Amino acid sequence: MTSFRYQDEYTTPPARQITPTTIERFEHVFEVDPSLMTDNVTQQVFPNWDTKRIVAARWDHLAWIHAHFADSVISGEELLRSLDD
Amino acid sequence: MTAVLEASIVEQLVAAIAPVLGEANVLTSKTARYSRARVPAPFPVHRWAERVPDLVVLPGSTEEVAHVVRVANEFGVPIVPRDGGTGLTDGAVPERRGIVVDVKRMNLIHEIDLENRTATVGVGISMLKLNEVLAQHGLIYPDNPASYPCSLLGGRIGTSGWSLIGSRYGHSRDLVLSFDMVTPTGDIIFVGDGGGRKISKSSSGYQLKHLFMGHQGTLGIATTATLKLYPKAEAEFSAFWAFDDYDVAYKAVGALARAGIATFAGAVLFDEKKVEYLRRDDEAYIPQPESVKALVCSVGYGNSDEVAAGGRRMMRIARDLGARYMGDEISQGDWASRHDRYATPVHGRTLSGQVALMSWHCEDAAINYTDLPAVTREWHAIVEKLRRKHDVFDDWGMFAYTSSDTGVDYLTEIDIGIWEEKLDDTTWAAFVDAKREIAAVSLKYGGSISACHGSCREGEVDLVPQELGGGYDVMLAVKRALDPNNIMNPGKYGLDRAYDNEGDRR
Repeated sequence: MTSFRYQDEYTTPPARQITPTTIERFEHVFEVDPSLMTDNVTQQVFPNWDTKRIVAARWDHLAWIHAHFADSVISGEELLRSLDD
Repeated sequence: MTAVLEASIVEQLVAAIAPVLGEANVLTSKTARYSRARVPAPFPVHRWAERVPDLVVLPGSTEEVAHVVRVANEFGVPIVPRDGGTGLTDGAVPERRGIVVDVKRMNLIHEIDLENRTATVGVGISMLKLNEVLAQHGLIYPDNPASYPCSLLGGRIGTSGWSLIGSRYGHSRDLVLSFDMVTPTGDIIFVGDGGGRKISKSSSGYQLKHLFMGHQGTLGIATTATLKLYPKAEAEFSAFWAFDDYDVAYKAVGALARAGIATFAGAVLFDEKKVEYLRRDDEAYIPQPESVKALVCSVGYGNSDEVAAGGRRMMRIARDLGARYMGDEISQGDWASRHDRYATPVHGRTLSGQVALMSWHCEDAAINYTDLPAVTREWHAIVEKLRRKHDVFDDWGMFAYTSSDTGVDYLTEIDIGIWEEKLDDTTWAAFVDAKREIAAVSLKYGGSISACHGSCREGEVDLVPQELGGGYDVMLAVKRALDPNNIMNPGKYGLDRAYDNEGDRR
């Protein structure tokens, strides 16, 4: 069971500057630096769960695409290691 | 600008078409018409109303399409076929208004022939939906545009589509064996290699299949097609490598494409501007070190043992050239995302670096391998000049993508962000001039104006007669012979010049 507490969901973790134009609030979830979104486009306000849902849905979609075109995916990392065997 | 049809004419058209198609399949509402007025390619939206059809029809069979075309001839009204509406050269845009024929209802799978490995389907089906059914039989129809989830088969025929994995399986022209076609006069003909519906190679008669593919709806409407099927791949291999230097990446993509690997399905070269663009807000590239200046991707499909062997050879070729493998997560994730590039991005930046809501425009050409670096430099210079003059455009970088299994030529594409909301007549004219300059560079280097998207839009279309030479005169003669009333998608490819003043009016 999950609960929704407005204050928690609309309080984002502190941002960490990743590059001069991007920040990170959740691990591996990058955002355009809000200072670049003031003149023409403003950032939408998202509850935290929705940010996480969108990221998870993206991974689901990519996994589905792989399965759509082929039954399996061969690992390049394993092939690279095999070159040295 | 073409005037809207008088209401009384529209009423007569409805009265002539509805008894055959059914009233529910003849649409005159504003929403039905405006939503079929554009394609994803950016255009001056303040002129949207200039290209709204008078009528939309949704036929359910070849005979119903033929009826609509005959009615259009009787009334002298333009008729424009529309499939997924995902084309980037305005083929489905009703520039002279008239009747839009939306083929989405013709989406049935009529036959799957497991022994001969063919499927016969209505052209309103999407490759994604078809392949969901074919997968149950271990088969696939491997036509794979970047619009894979939303484009339809009929559009692939009308545009002679390019496929992401065409270096392995061929493109639409190779995968479509035959089809039924309603000509501009409403006759129904069969088009294939010779007369058989399931023949892949014939030496009987003129080879009409290529003529009736890629005409952008100017020579008729395909309705039912028979397709070549392959076993669904047991395995996929996709690798992305990072390079510190564009020139080395360029060498690597050439070496991969020329390696003669049987399962090779395509290789892509991303230039420095493209890497800069990806660093803006692509989770895979934001954390990459600044030393990364170019990327190469290579993919393979087929039986597991063959794909593994081919993949190992690809890895060795890239490693020997100093490439850094970017890891399985990025390689597999980025390749998967290439099948669906029609999610509108908001990656635009003004000159000051502020985010702006821009639409994606991609100008493409077919360029030989040896000319890629020079074309890349000249195209960027054209877009930079445009951008400096009008801060509603943005250079989103370039990639070059193998079109065949030998690496002879590449779909070469520059992606341009366009702030559509801000386009006015002045900026649109500047953009059209830039498009013309880009096309001229392609011809200067012995390439073709388009490998994939088509060459119908303002700007590049002006240079099509120059590209084709005497072949363009043949196009005019064919158009005039097949479409005596110039009703089939008039205004495209400059084909009005095939007619006297009577035809020009349409």
